[in-house]
Amino acid sequence: MEGGLSTPGIPPEAWNELLALSRDESGDRVLVERGLDLWRRVCGADAAAIYLDKGGFLEREVACGTALPETADPAAIPAAFGVRPFPGGRLLFAPASAAPPPGSEPLGHALTALLASSFKGCRLRQELKEQQFQVNYRVVELEALYDVGLAVTATLDLDRLSEEILLRAVSLLDARRGALYILEDGHYRLDRTFGGQAAPLFAADDAEVRAFLTAGGAPPADLLPGARYVLGAPIEVESGARGLLAVGDKESRRGVGPFLTSDRRTLALFANQAAIALDNARLHREALEKERLEREMQLAAEIQRRILPTGAPQLSGFKLVGWYRPARQVGGDYYDLFRVDENRVGMVVGDVSGKGIPAALMVSTLHSALRLLLDRTGLGPDLLEQLNRHILESSTPNKFITMLLGELDVRSGVVHYLNAGHNPGLLLRGSGSVEELGSSGLPLGLLPMARFQSRFISLDPGDVVCLYSDGITECSAPDGEEFGTERLAGLMREYRERPLQEMLEAIRDATDCFAAGLPQGDDQTLVLLRRDTL
Amino acid sequence: MTESLNVTVDRRDGLAVIYTEGYINNQGGEEIARVAYDLLDAGYRILLLNLGGTKIVNSIGISILIEIIEKMIEVEGRMGFCCLTPTIEKTFQIMGLAQYAPIFPDESAAVSQLKP
Repeated sequence: MEGGLSTPGIPPEAWNELLALSRDESGDRVLVERGLDLWRRVCGADAAAIYLDKGGFLEREVACGTALPETADPAAIPAAFGVRPFPGGRLLFAPASAAPPPGSEPLGHALTALLASSFKGCRLRQELKEQQFQVNYRVVELEALYDVGLAVTATLDLDRLSEEILLRAVSLLDARRGALYILEDGHYRLDRTFGGQAAPLFAADDAEVRAFLTAGGAPPADLLPGARYVLGAPIEVESGARGLLAVGDKESRRGVGPFLTSDRRTLALFANQAAIALDNARLHREALEKERLEREMQLAAEIQRRILPTGAPQLSGFKLVGWYRPARQVGGDYYDLFRVDENRVGMVVGDVSGKGIPAALMVSTLHSALRLLLDRTGLGPDLLEQLNRHILESSTPNKFITMLLGELDVRSGVVHYLNAGHNPGLLLRGSGSVEELGSSGLPLGLLPMARFQSRFISLDPGDVVCLYSDGITECSAPDGEEFGTERLAGLMREYRERPLQEMLEAIRDATDCFAAGLPQGDDQTLVLLRRDTL
Repeated sequence: MTESLNVTVDRRDGLAVIYTEGYINNQGGEEIARVAYDLLDAGYRILLLNLGGTKIVNSIGISILIEIIEKMIEVEGRMGFCCLTPTIEKTFQIMGLAQYAPIFPDESAAVSQLKP
């Protein structure tokens, strides 16, 4: 029959083209386009398009020739367009005056039937493809949930994990925007945002926020400013809330729209997985931070150990010993024993207000400044006045240092000392009486114009000087009683005939025994000096 | 993080590399499609999408990429992807894109494989 069929007004090629199309089993969209184009040419139209009825509105699906509108109201099709019925919609063409030539009805009917059939096949194929796409995307969603679950053990980098969670939530829900909040001190603090601004902070007990997260209430107005649709889910673990995940403006090919019920479920599931992962990463970060702090404390303790004297200078006619025990890894007590020259030896016991790293830093400052000033000016009021100004300039307000400095001249047995608000040193005389090396000025770092006075004591054979910090005398028993200077002086008397190191150990052991196992409350420092008996 | 997609093109002998930076969503996908179809009109039949600057893609973006792949098949061209994040690569594998547009770890490997 090919080439043999003829109809007045219709070229035989048109029949041949129709036959070729009818034998094409591809069911492809191209087939529909070619069929529609043949229809247009047979009718003498400039343009033709198939429209489908979608919710009472016609939407253009296939078109050929010059452009026809994307959509049309079936009740108000412009007069410029011709209309033909088509399964599920209409076939529009232009100009409206175009018409099949006389006698071409058989070709027109055959073409319309072919178009309807091809178009149906094409749509079925498209629907199948879309369903396959949706199935695949559900797999992507499940994979995302699974991956975030895996991250519980795999990703411990909190920053990277937070970014991954936000990006995945935005992409999974086809959102245009998103924000991740972390709960801190009763507030949801903005951790990161995607696609636009977000409110920096929300009170966790804000009624609007709670209603939004738990009862599907309206989102807080400034959660994702400018977003038309917002969906949120709490990030919670068993022990409580950890944060908030919000996404905004669900995308489609036609713009943005509201989220679906299934989206709420997906986001909630995702937030649950994210909660465990985030909690795990947070704990890991805290552990790392703790480890870092411990390393720093160890380093600070090591630095402080190096500041402290490793032993006492050996003196002719005198014995000198020192001991220091911090209450924590690093302490705020300071002591030093050093040779000034061939005949003179220096002793220092100081106590910085506060404890831990800040106090240790001040100890380090004190050590450097004191050694420098001793070299430059020697012991005396000038030294303490300069040191006082230096401490005032280099420390935070309300920080101060008490200090007792002494310098023994081994030739004369005279101790020159200055006491800047420190516990009075004790001087045990051969008679058994105890004298105090009292304060001769304010603690360092309190007042810029503080003044200090030098004082002198002369040591006789058998005399013992004790410099100490309040960690010794204020050491507490379980009932709250303090060790006190009386007990300290008593031990000095008791051990006055024993080697000086033995006296030091006796005092140390006595304070330990007195505390009866209570943790050491303050740093303890003890320096003992005795003039040998003749 | 950028919300909009920035697209640049490097035209080479018979091959064009499309670089993306940002979110491949509806707007981003449309922009890639526009650039890709312009390249097809200009006679390029081998396209490489370097997604090194993209960390996020949604289902709308994927559907547009699938349309581009279909168009490439229609004109008997070739297309490939390179420099994908592990998450995007996994998504493309599941969604079937990798079946028709191979994924390469880096640009040089992609260019050497895609070029005739």
